[in-house]
Amino acid sequence: MSTKWVGKRVKRIDGPEKVTGELKYMTDYQFDDMVWGKVLRSEYPHAKINSIDIEEAKNLHGVICVLTHKDIPGFNGFGIVVPDQPVLCSDVVRCTGDAVALVAAETLEIAEQALSLIKVDYEPLEVVADAEYALTESAPKLHPDGNLHSHVKIKNGNIEQAFEEADIIVENTFYSPRQMHAFIETEGGWGIMDDEGFLTIRCPGQYAYRDRMQIARSLAYNAERIRVISSPIGGAFGGKDEITVQIYLALLALHTNGRPVKIHLSREESVIAGIKRHPFKVCMKTAAKKDGTLLANQVKAIGDTGAYASLGGAVIALAIEHSCGPYKIPNVDLEGFCVYTNNGISGAFRGFGVNQVCMGIETHMDMIAEKLGMDPIELRKKNVYHQGEVSSVGHIVKSSVGTYKTLEMAENCDLWKNREKYKSEVCEPWKKRGVSLATSFHGIGMGIGLPDYGAASIELLPDGKFLVGVGCEEIGGGNSTVYAQVAAEMLKCDISNIRIVQGDTKNTLDGGTVTASRSTYTGGRAVAAAAPKMTELLNQTAAEMLNLPAASVDLRPNHISADGQIIPYKSIYEHLYEKHQSTRVEGHFYLPKEKEEIKGSGGAPHHLYGYLTHVVMVEVDTLTGETDVLRVVSIPDAGKVINPQGLEGQAEGGAVMGIGYTLFEDVLIENGYHKTRNFTDYIIPTIRETPLIETFPVEEPEQSGPFGAKGIGEVVMIPIIAAIMSAIYDATGARICHLPATPERVFNALKDLKNQKVQSTR
Amino acid sequence: MLVSEIDMITPSSLSECLTQLSKEGRKHRLIAGGTDAVVRMKEGKWRPEIWINIKNLKELRYIEESKDFIHIGPLATHTDITHSPLLQRKADVLVDAAGEVGATQMQKMGTIGGNIGTASPAGDTLPALYVLGALLELTSLKNKRIVPIQEFIIGPGRTVLKENEMITKILIKPQRQNEKGIFQKLGPRKAQSISIVNVAISLTMDQDRKCVEGKIAFGSVAPTIIRARKCESMLTLGPLNDELIQNIAKIAWKEVMPISDGRATAAYRRDMASALLERGLYRLIRRWENQ
Ligand SMILES: Cc1cc2nc3c(=O)[nH]c(=O)nc-3n(C[C@H](O)[C@H](O)[C@H](O)COP(=O)(O)OP(=O)(O)OC[C@H]3O[C@@H](n4cnc5c(N)ncnc54)[C@H](O)[C@@H]3O)c2cc1C
Repeated sequence: MSTKWVGKRVKRIDGPEKVTGELKYMTDYQFDDMVWGKVLRSEYPHAKINSIDIEEAKNLHGVICVLTHKDIPGFNGFGIVVPDQPVLCSDVVRCTGDAVALVAAETLEIAEQALSLIKVDYEPLEVVADAEYALTESAPKLHPDGNLHSHVKIKNGNIEQAFEEADIIVENTFYSPRQMHAFIETEGGWGIMDDEGFLTIRCPGQYAYRDRMQIARSLAYNAERIRVISSPIGGAFGGKDEITVQIYLALLALHTNGRPVKIHLSREESVIAGIKRHPFKVCMKTAAKKDGTLLANQVKAIGDTGAYASLGGAVIALAIEHSCGPYKIPNVDLEGFCVYTNNGISGAFRGFGVNQVCMGIETHMDMIAEKLGMDPIELRKKNVYHQGEVSSVGHIVKSSVGTYKTLEMAENCDLWKNREKYKSEVCEPWKKRGVSLATSFHGIGMGIGLPDYGAASIELLPDGKFLVGVGCEEIGGGNSTVYAQVAAEMLKCDISNIRIVQGDTKNTLDGGTVTASRSTYTGGRAVAAAAPKMTELLNQTAAEMLNLPAASVDLRPNHISADGQIIPYKSIYEHLYEKHQSTRVEGHFYLPKEKEEIKGSGGAPHHLYGYLTHVVMVEVDTLTGETDVLRVVSIPDAGKVINPQGLEGQAEGGAVMGIGYTLFEDVLIENGYHKTRNFTDYIIPTIRETPLIETFPVEEPEQSGPFGAKGIGEVVMIPIIAAIMSAIYDATGARICHLPATPERVFNALKDLKNQKVQSTR
Repeated sequence: MLVSEIDMITPSSLSECLTQLSKEGRKHRLIAGGTDAVVRMKEGKWRPEIWINIKNLKELRYIEESKDFIHIGPLATHTDITHSPLLQRKADVLVDAAGEVGATQMQKMGTIGGNIGTASPAGDTLPALYVLGALLELTSLKNKRIVPIQEFIIGPGRTVLKENEMITKILIKPQRQNEKGIFQKLGPRKAQSISIVNVAISLTMDQDRKCVEGKIAFGSVAPTIIRARKCESMLTLGPLNDELIQNIAKIAWKEVMPISDGRATAAYRRDMASALLERGLYRLIRRWENQ
């Protein structure tokens, strides 16, 4: 099919205002009559609250209100799946991020002072600092049902027999870090209530409708009288999926006499109170036959979800679903535990559990290949499932599967083909280079058990342009441009005729979250569902205007042609307007799902997956243990690529985020207290850690998707983790199974290796 | 003290600045580039009543040479240092070090006076100044004194500077024709990072890889910068071949007394003192031979 917009390098429609700085961060606005909100966080990771005294704080000059749990009109809790996190704690605090009171004041300084005047009488309790300890009998129970939030299990075949029959078995334990989203704009926003009691919350988020529901529930307020608006800048990566400050803003706005209230977390507060990626411990045992056929995989994964559930249960479920990689392993025993501790709060983050297990299975693939003397690509090719085959978790994969093609592409890329040459090009004798690859996949959409739908509206505007409304927020990934491309393609108009509105409960339909690698697929398909209705409206109206049969009217580029006449869209709008007819159409659809849930899996399988292979080259300084990623090749199967430039943006950003995860990043918490305070000690990659990144998509079209597209937003950061780990091994012979692979960890591994060698030669 | 209660004055000359510094009965502090000062103000650590802003005192921003010394104004930025042809020729180790401070933004705003004033054990220009035998000119309204840098710094963030004094000049001995230096830094990443360990080396070389005199100073491995005297004395034992380099590097860990913190353990820091010295000596010899 020849297309004019889809598949083309279309410039970001939100590009100019972002790069010129014309578009402001939401928290950068100021208003004359504004007031400042602040949140009092807990002093202890685990304590009983005996009393909260706010008198002195309330009497401080310049303080407008001080609120505690007593001031919550509705339900004192939030949480996407289980609302087990108190909006404001009343009896117990479970992490240092817990909110205890809110203040609104004339200035930020007064608000901060007021916080220091609130007297909370705490009785410290034993801190649960470790997920495995949390599961023991002796650990204090953090929630009424205990410390195990969820447990998922997938079992197929006969694992014991398989291990007995296997020619080769590898077994390792992997530890992964508590990664921070490190979005450029910390959590924050605005709340304002108008004279008529209409509440507006402006706050960067990832699902305005669900945020509105959570706000309404806590305020016991009619959701129709609450408007939630997101912001297309500042970044999210999953960290703004859960409620951040929306409910605090709403509560304060009830008490500020109509003045707008702003909350903007400092970086230090964001580190403590914001959601993080689950640290995992993954024990994995993998078996294969001599010819490289995978026989069995056994996985036990424990995820530390911190004090509250948020999306922890779903993260563990997705991890287990993906724990065998995109392979067909007949015998599996996979088990995941999502555990409460007093270590902050973990939740959604790009990759959603898959990062933590991919590093296990892909490391094992390389170990097996090495032991068998097999090429690592051959081994993978031999074991991948193809479309129509049964995956390791036991379902027939009906949607498109691109793994094999990505591996072929990897095999033929310059970096892989000429790896020996590149590896030899070191300029100092203590530097060692390694080249490795890894592959992974990631489910698209919600999986079984959660409703998953898309919706979009298209409205003809007075100036003859189209306003396309999609619920899914723009959070920097570029989905607004995708929606404009799909709309322009289907309405046969120039892209400049398309305006996009997103993430605003007043102006968009509920179309689900911008998470789960779903927004290109879901929003794109929703626009594609609405567009034919707009075409029909245009054609019919034109026919009516000219008194012609509808068949003689034709949608042409940028106008309607009927009987040799040209009808501009503007006149169609005017005609409809005069007749008091709506100029707006809607498109709705339901995401395809698998019929049967794998028992005990917590939502597996997904119907759709995106696939990706990474090839990387690293250079290790063996004197210091520093690792430098020099080159990355990213080979995604995103189905049809709607905007190659957008895909490259995701592939490059994802690669850098994966480098950060593997080499630098970890929020350190000791006994419930954060040791990492801000970006002074939380190390993310800079441009100097950013290598050359090439993106070579293989397009395995997905029939159900808009123009054949799938989703790619998360898997772009996943296989690179295992690939870097393997490349370090290729370079030095040291396996790092505990991330991040900091210089110190790599150096110590090299030292151990040397000592082993010395011992074995004795 | 709230941030909004803090005043700032901007003297237009050095003498006006010294007069301001001489006023008693109030808490004041100098602010130059502010790259340390603003961070610490935000953290609540530095909250004087008055900031004395010296960033625009042009008379304190220079790099010049006299008969025996190179004179550096305390307001010379790290970029001024890296761009100075004089320093590139006669104080390469300092140029190296200034080029490792933070990243471009920090190098343009941050000053050498500020780096010394903060007196952080991880301050990157300090080891270089130690091996270059830097002398600091401290001036008050009524007085002037010269203090060697190793006597100026007495502990992390602690110096002998009096309330009414400021650094008005940094004097270093220019490197000789046959003297070459290098600065090596290990941080958690390549830019915008605080040193885990750093080392400055300056060697006076003879024919055949022979070192006649050498100075080595480590940062971030003790409460203050440390001169590695033992290693230094081994530099001249013979030609600086791989074996000697490795032997010198091996004893470096004995000269340092690091602590563990969030960035690294003490054990790793000790190992890295050796590693950076080894890497630095290799690279320095190569530099020497390739010149
Ligand atoms: C993101 C970031 C990265 C950084 N990276 C590095 C790094 O890699 N390496 C490194 O060493 N440092 C680093 N720093 C610290 C800082 O940039 C340097 O120490 C810089 O040289 C300080 O200079 P300044 O002019 O900004 O000092 P200021 O902040 O203005 O002052 C610092 C201190 O020095 C005093 N002072 C200033 N001038 C004088 C004077 N003439 N006489 C007496 N006292 C004086 C001030 O009173 C104050 O106590 C970093 C800082 C930031 C924010």
